[in-house]
Amino acid sequence: MRSIRLQNLKKRIPEGTVLNDISLHIPAGKFFALLGPSGCGKTTLLRVIAGLESADSGSLFLDDEDITYLPIHQRPINIVFQNYALFPHLNVFDNVAYSLKLKKLPKHVIQQKVLKILESFDLQSHIYKAPSQLSGGQQQRVALARAIVNEPKVLLLDEPLAALDFKLREKMLIELIELQDKLKTTFIYVTHDQFEALTVADQMAIMNKNGDIEQIGTPKEIYEFPVSSFVAQFVGTTNILQGILKNVDANPEISIPDLGTFSLPAQAQKHRIKENCTILLSIRPEKIFISKERNPGFSNVIKGTVQSIVYHGRSTHYNVIIESGMKLQAFEQNEEHFPQQVIDYDNEVYLHWQKENVVILER
Amino acid sequence: MKFTSKKSSEFPFIVGIPAILWQILLFYLPLVLIVGTSFIAISDSGSLEGFTFEKIGVFLNPTYIRVILSSVLLGLANATICFCIAYPLAYFMAFRAHKFKNLLLFLLLIPFWTNFLLHVYAWFFVLERNGFLNNLLKTLGLIQDSIPFMNSLFATMIMMVYYYLPFMVLPIYSSLEKFDYKLIEASLDLGAGRFKTLRRIILPLSLGGIRAGFFLVYIPSFGEFAIPELMGGDKQMFVGSVVARYILGDQTGSLGAAFTVLSSVILCVSSILLYFVLNLIFKRRGSHAVKN
Repeated sequence: MRSIRLQNLKKRIPEGTVLNDISLHIPAGKFFALLGPSGCGKTTLLRVIAGLESADSGSLFLDDEDITYLPIHQRPINIVFQNYALFPHLNVFDNVAYSLKLKKLPKHVIQQKVLKILESFDLQSHIYKAPSQLSGGQQQRVALARAIVNEPKVLLLDEPLAALDFKLREKMLIELIELQDKLKTTFIYVTHDQFEALTVADQMAIMNKNGDIEQIGTPKEIYEFPVSSFVAQFVGTTNILQGILKNVDANPEISIPDLGTFSLPAQAQKHRIKENCTILLSIRPEKIFISKERNPGFSNVIKGTVQSIVYHGRSTHYNVIIESGMKLQAFEQNEEHFPQQVIDYDNEVYLHWQKENVVILER
Repeated sequence: MKFTSKKSSEFPFIVGIPAILWQILLFYLPLVLIVGTSFIAISDSGSLEGFTFEKIGVFLNPTYIRVILSSVLLGLANATICFCIAYPLAYFMAFRAHKFKNLLLFLLLIPFWTNFLLHVYAWFFVLERNGFLNNLLKTLGLIQDSIPFMNSLFATMIMMVYYYLPFMVLPIYSSLEKFDYKLIEASLDLGAGRFKTLRRIILPLSLGGIRAGFFLVYIPSFGEFAIPELMGGDKQMFVGSVVARYILGDQTGSLGAAFTVLSSVILCVSSILLYFVLNLIFKRRGSHAVKN
């Protein structure tokens, strides 16, 4: 259980991915997720931590130990590769035993450790199989077993579930969470899938396309209080509105051209933004209440016309064109088999939201 | 799989006939003739006199056994030296050369466009008494008098390695070229240094290419005729020279055939042994290694 600290890390690689001056603290014993779009450099960052790439400048600390120049095979850090990278000429046992054999542990100790870990991953009946004889989920578990049998201080996971189908992925996510809970090893999980990141992470960092970290926080903080329009749009779905800030000191409001004024949460002052500044707002679609009749219980209302309806099983997604010509999304939970009001295409609807459920974005 | 089998059934047997005829007329038939003549006794008048081991027996003495063994050693030495040069070269081409891969491959193949004898004469100029190598060594002050490089085992070996190297590089390169580099990274990550990764992951996984290279070099160099004749003088006799002497000699053709059969048997046996030795050296002797 160790923490990882990156200090002013810079890395440029020929394919064009760039890490610009990354400083990041990954707390010990936490499940940390690094979320970003493809090609943002998150895998490069992981490879630098693993020691597969060296940083151009900056330093890397494991607790207080500077490991920037420690060769890869001496780092107490193991990685689970995206396509598992199991050794095809070795069977399951030898794959898992690989790192232990390198340490020259006595045979019976190796045997005991490997069997124990294979059992905990429910692989005991596949010990003598070649990796190619296993299913995707089993290969995934062998890769995990191989990486943790050595009891690394930090475990890196590079999109480990990308090759699995949805059901299996959900199951493996739960297994990963339980595993991390049990081992208390620091896990760093790289993914471009916000669902995975939100599910597993205690803490997460969002990287943008330029290789900068936009925001760090718990999944809830990231989702509910995104700081930038990038984070708000990348994690989950959101509606972004642009307008002018008014009346900062009393009851802050945003004035949006062609739409009118809408009230903002009281803590708007916190953002150190001034009167008459242009600001961006984020409203999550599930925080918008859609109905055919105007409901007076909400602090903000917009009128619009339903353009499209997408049925998702547990929820229905409406695309609504509002008076300014903009499109807003609203999600409705499908709570009843036979809802009292049925909203159809081209219906006139009202979109309502409470001012507390709005987030003012910093950029 | 289904697709290909369907396709081949549309083009029946007929398509294969030329190849099969070729194979029978130019390979199996001569083979039968050679084996036949080495075991069939024919009287002076030309009539069959039955089965004999006499012709093989002629060669079962230390002189000829030594010739065969020297050929085995020549082949093994050549293959081993080629391997030691080819593996790092192929490794470099596969993993480090990046966009120069194809250029290097091209350079490797250029010598094949030139006549074999020209290569030999080129090496004459390098190795002869007043040749390039002697002059170079003299200029550097390393030797006073010329060294007679030509007509020696040394010259033979140089030419053999020079000529057979591509046959070792190509199969190894092709097995490394499709190698998943992530496996190397995984090995390093799991605590193996560069050398252990080579030993435990890269070598075992390129065994197919290594094996192909060894056979492609060992088998023809066992029977190599031209290079020892041209470069080695008469210092050392190899299988090829003996076969040539008997086959081309007067009335000794069937003895040549017998010697060919005898050396082929040794070649077969030694190749099988080589197969197992290579497995022993390069395969990971893991506790439960997967068979491949």
